[in-house]
Amino acid sequence: MKEASTQSSSGQREKIAMPHRGGNRAFIIIALVVVAIVVIAAAFATGMLSLGSDKGTVTLTGAGATFPMPLILKWADEYYNETDGKVKVNYGGGGSGAGITQIKDQTVVFAGTDAPLSGDESSQYGLVHIPETLGAVVVAFNVPGLATLKLDGDTLAKIFMKNITKWNDPAIVALNAGASLPDNDIQTVVRSDSSGTTFVFTGYLEIVSSEFASIYGQAKSLTWPGAIGASGNPGVTSTVKSTSYSIGYIELSYAMQNEIPFAQLKNKDGNFVVASLDTTSAAAAAAGASLPAGGGDWSNVNILNAPGSDSYPIASFTYILVYKELYDDATKLNKTAAEALVDFLWWMVHDEAQSWADDLYYAPLPASVVALNEATLEALTYQGEPVL
Amino acid sequence: MRSHKLRKRVDMAASLLAVGCVLVALIPLVSILVEVIRNGAPMLSWEFITDRTTSGVGNAILGSLQIVMYAAFIGLPVGILTGIYISEFGNNRMGSTIRFFNDVMANFPSIVVGLLVYAMLIVYLGMTYSIIVASVALSIIMIPIVANTTEESLKMVPNSLREGALALGVPRWRTVLKVVLSNGRSGVITGALLAVARVAGETAPLILTTMFSYFWTVSPNEPSAALPTLIFNYAMGYSSLTVDEAMRHAWGAALVLIMLVLSLNVSVRLLSMRRFKKNHKGARRWRTRLSLKA
Repeated sequence: MKEASTQSSSGQREKIAMPHRGGNRAFIIIALVVVAIVVIAAAFATGMLSLGSDKGTVTLTGAGATFPMPLILKWADEYYNETDGKVKVNYGGGGSGAGITQIKDQTVVFAGTDAPLSGDESSQYGLVHIPETLGAVVVAFNVPGLATLKLDGDTLAKIFMKNITKWNDPAIVALNAGASLPDNDIQTVVRSDSSGTTFVFTGYLEIVSSEFASIYGQAKSLTWPGAIGASGNPGVTSTVKSTSYSIGYIELSYAMQNEIPFAQLKNKDGNFVVASLDTTSAAAAAAGASLPAGGGDWSNVNILNAPGSDSYPIASFTYILVYKELYDDATKLNKTAAEALVDFLWWMVHDEAQSWADDLYYAPLPASVVALNEATLEALTYQGEPVL
Repeated sequence: MRSHKLRKRVDMAASLLAVGCVLVALIPLVSILVEVIRNGAPMLSWEFITDRTTSGVGNAILGSLQIVMYAAFIGLPVGILTGIYISEFGNNRMGSTIRFFNDVMANFPSIVVGLLVYAMLIVYLGMTYSIIVASVALSIIMIPIVANTTEESLKMVPNSLREGALALGVPRWRTVLKVVLSNGRSGVITGALLAVARVAGETAPLILTTMFSYFWTVSPNEPSAALPTLIFNYAMGYSSLTVDEAMRHAWGAALVLIMLVLSLNVSVRLLSMRRFKKNHKGARRWRTRLSLKA
């Protein structure tokens, strides 16, 4: 239709082919922009261009266990400020298993795991264990009117195996003289997902109850009889909180933050111990002397049911895994990044960082473990040269 | 024949049922909006939007915008060109094959796309978790959506226009660019923006491809926070905040995300509505001008 109007004036044949005025230029511009964008995107994708990552800054990426994730993120945040924004540490969750897979695939430079590697695995891949903090699993309960509860390992195992089903069962009454225990059914709450917390908790039950060991055994997840399943520590926490006459196992930090009562447990020395950062550290200190070197076999390390009058019985280490030789032909981690990583790990196991653990309800490492970590870190190499 | 009264009643009942169903369908939408606004609104402040984690969600907003921007850069050209091909040149076996696979791709679960990109770019090619890897995943989700909407809107362009242009001796490619695409432009743009809004809220592929970060990220080669992953992490308790605080931040981030996506959606609707009206007016003006000249 437009053509009709321009056809009368001869000599403008070129314009006839342009039904929409201005369209030509606009399209050339759009085409140029698109091409430029695709080229730039391709350049970024292949790593030829990288905005913002100037020489001075280093980005370190880790993944794995979710249990120490809040603490590692806190450390990352503090370390970023500490280094004036020079070192950015990113940590993604995914669970211990995912972390181990990813460090083996070299998609991350460090991994977090609650369960140690087997001796074969750590020597085959050349990975070292750096215990960075301690956790405790507590038995949270919700019985109206009951503020304190004392349990021993055997009773605890029986409750979760449904051999004890009432709150006023003689076994519980015997441990809690004078407490008014109701005649209600005990509702157990467990983790529905595969979890390090379950692994630690069942590890403890396996040690203290031969019956539990023979029927169930230690596992990241298992089929509990007649229990409510909930996902993650937050899930179990809120389920226990909202279900009267329930009992469940969660990490200490979740119990503390959510102000939920938890049971005192009888330890190896026969004392009833309240889970706290001190009693957790005490358990680690008691085990400290028998720990292997960082590059050794950690698979048998456990500080469950540790000796010592103040040791809380369900405590565990959580580990950072790194390669002993930080350079690899496949990943080509540069020297600056390797140094930044080792510096960060060194900072992480020492006083200043460990004091942050306190605020988030993680137990600080005892001195014996810090010394062990120092030796491990000093043994890390970059192309054969010690990094520190 | 049934009585008039009975028929009236049946009619009434059917109407009530229909209205009831509409109300039921509205419940989730309204309750989500109410809940998100109720929980998220108290969090909103200038600091919350501009500070990085953990005092705000600024870095997640920036990360989301970057991821979506790069995804649009990669996905829109491919999607639009695919749409043009199947609409204008796809009247053959090749075209119907592409159309078929495009439909299949549109129905891929986003987690599968995320997994594919993770396996290919991160595990196999050894790239790090980064914005650009996430953008590749989101662009793959975008391409079939954009291709579909482009094809649909170009098909709406009357054939007489194509014939007219070709009859004037305009080459095929020029016809497509100047006549078909110009007339279907509003539909193409609408589809593109809706696809952008759709991927902005994607979470599953991001968890696998960008990981998470507490820091400002401007390099596309680094892990980054994004609003959906921030909401996921905080809601799961994966942050250095206390559980309650993390929940509040997650609600705030949810509100910001919903506002971003909704504003994109609403602006698309307004834009297409206005264009529609303008087109009508424009057409009338054009006609009168032509008749005057004649």
